Amino acid sequence: MIQKKICMIGDFAVGKTSLVARFVRQTFSDKYLTTIGVKIDTKLINLSQQQIKLILWDIAGSDALSTVTASYLRGAAGYLLVVDGTRKPTWDTALNLQELVNSQIGNKPFIFLLNKADLQEQWEINNLDITEQLQQGRAVIHTSAKIGTGVEEAFMQLAMKLLNNPLD
Amino acid sequence: MARIPFSIIKYVRFLWMSEKVITYLHIDAQGQLVDWGGYPNYYGLVNLVIGKQATEQISFLEGLLPVVHTEVIQFLRVGTSNSAHVHIVPYQSHTWVLLFDATAEHDRQQKVQQQANELSILNYRQSRLIQQMEETWQALTEEKQQLEQISQAQGRFFVTLSHELRASLSSIINNTDLLDIPLEEYETHYLTTIRNNADHLLSLIDNSLEQTKLEIGQVVLRPSRCEVKQTLKELENLFLPLAQEKGLTFTLESQPTIPSFVMIDGLRFRQVLINLVNNAIKFTEQGFIKVTLDWQDDQLKFAVADSGPGISPESQAKILTTFHREKIAYHLPGVGLGLTMSFNLIQLMGGELKIKSTPAVGSLFSGFIQAPATGYIPVVAETSQIITTTSLARILIIDDDVVNCSLIETTLRERGYLVVSTYDSRDAIQLTRQIQPDLILMDLLMPHLDGYTMIQRLREQQFTQPVIAISASNFEHDRLYALTSGCSDYLVKPINIEQLLAVTERTLCKC
Ligand SMILES: Nc1nc2c(ncn2[C@@H]2O[C@H](COP(=O)(O)OP(=O)(O)O)[C@@H](O)[C@H]2O)c(=O)[nH]1
Ligand SMILES: [Mg+2]
Repeated sequence: MIQKKICMIGDFAVGKTSLVARFVRQTFSDKYLTTIGVKIDTKLINLSQQQIKLILWDIAGSDALSTVTASYLRGAAGYLLVVDGTRKPTWDTALNLQELVNSQIGNKPFIFLLNKADLQEQWEINNLDITEQLQQGRAVIHTSAKIGTGVEEAFMQLAMKLLNNPLD
Repeated sequence: MARIPFSIIKYVRFLWMSEKVITYLHIDAQGQLVDWGGYPNYYGLVNLVIGKQATEQISFLEGLLPVVHTEVIQFLRVGTSNSAHVHIVPYQSHTWVLLFDATAEHDRQQKVQQQANELSILNYRQSRLIQQMEETWQALTEEKQQLEQISQAQGRFFVTLSHELRASLSSIINNTDLLDIPLEEYETHYLTTIRNNADHLLSLIDNSLEQTKLEIGQVVLRPSRCEVKQTLKELENLFLPLAQEKGLTFTLESQPTIPSFVMIDGLRFRQVLINLVNNAIKFTEQGFIKVTLDWQDDQLKFAVADSGPGISPESQAKILTTFHREKIAYHLPGVGLGLTMSFNLIQLMGGELKIKSTPAVGSLFSGFIQAPATGYIPVVAETSQIITTTSLARILIIDDDVVNCSLIETTLRERGYLVVSTYDSRDAIQLTRQIQPDLILMDLLMPHLDGYTMIQRLREQQFTQPVIAISASNFEHDRLYALTSGCSDYLVKPINIEQLLAVTERTLCKC
């Protein structure tokens, strides 16, 4: 069976743990519990008549890559860059982290997730920022771990990218 | 434990641990699980099968094998199990995966990190809120400024309009006054009705004008020495007949502590008292009206009490809240514009106005204004003898308002002055040269040549006699402008005949 390691990257409290919980167990909790180190979850998916086992590394959030975090990235086939749409600085962190991750593990498929899409009234990221990324050919998906919007789509799209990645 | 190579045991000892506590997974060069020991299920690793691919059973190893150097993964948790520090150690083409319990350390770190992260988010939200509040504040301030500008513009428009109304009305009033000839009784009745209504209209316009000026900040106080007892006497003269007519007792009381003279804008203070007494008489059907004045610590205290119907608590509250919000009460039931104006005037005079009222018993309007005592200054008596000394004076009247012009002319002629008048400002310079007047009375707003330019021209031609301005404008800045342009005095239309005579005599007397 094909196995793929996927890392959840992003500032703290953007919703990495919640996105995994929604995708793997269909659960959500409003309570915030800080992740320390890394949490491993797996999920079997069916994609183009193949069964794939996704191994999800939910890494503690930080705004810079420490050497500890770098050790979590080894062997990753791709990653999700999670942003809290209600906190503009987490978007800048994600852009920054993307470059750092790229320098660590090389060019791997990734997708930007603008999470907490259910909190539109507190939204702080304007369309211009997004358009700029889209113009560079990057994928951006609005998600909500709370109500489920875009979550399945996000993981499936990344999995598809991994399958089609000739470098892997 | 015999199957663990000595180098691995050495590595474990190097970490200051007993090899007995470790959980290990032994993987061969092909990636198959060769052996395991300790408590893998404590770390969520269950159903391990020897001889099967390690990455299929131990998913976190996906992508990691083989390792060249020892790799350490700190605080790794599989699912909801316990936290481990995972050391992946290469040994003779095989791989040893060692798991050490990190649960206690994990929980400790989590507590600290949790607090730090929550605080950081809280700070962020707080600063955003403050920023948003500042933005909202900014927007509201701008909106307020715009509204104030609109309100100011409306106020100025209203003031201009009122001056126009005032000018026309003054013509009507003066014209009626000029009809001072023997009349039939019914004619007198008509005339009185016209005069009364015109007076009422004029006072309405004046009040609205005054109120608007208060609102747009055009009212400027002119404090001067004022004799308080005189003001009381005037009030008595004004209201005693009215009160008696309604069968009301009207008393005025002033404490002996009141200084003879205080520095106040006497005109404005009188205006306030007149408003209050007028209201009291208007609403009281039987009983009394009592006015008291007192003075203490440079404050002039006043009270107007009546036995009228009183004001309901709701209306009182309304009056007070509107007042305290520094907004203008436009429409309060049973309370005219006069009361609102009084509130605002008193505030301007550094004082306070309070209302106490019991329905069906009566009302008490009391308060104070700032009124520093000032030394005694003997009043210069303006006796009628002056007239004889100045009655041969030559006076030139320039006013395009024919009615006003003829009213002044008639009045001054009756007093024995030599009067020449013209409606056309263009003749004025020529006339001045011909008759050499001792005094010029001049309207400031005229077609062809306005008053200001005219004064300049006259002065250029060495005309040194006084000029008194006549204007329909009650604007403070108009008055100031006239006085600084060289007018010696300023009369407002409609012309009050007594005032006209007094000013004329005083001016002539001085030169
Ligand atoms: N409204 C809303 N809240 C979310 C969403 N995702 C996560 N959260 C909340 O955001 C906080 C942080 O989530 P978490 O998954 O722990 O973030 P992590 O630090 O990136 O793993 C928690 O209180 C979650 O309940 C979302 O999509 N919508
Ligand atoms: Mg987390």
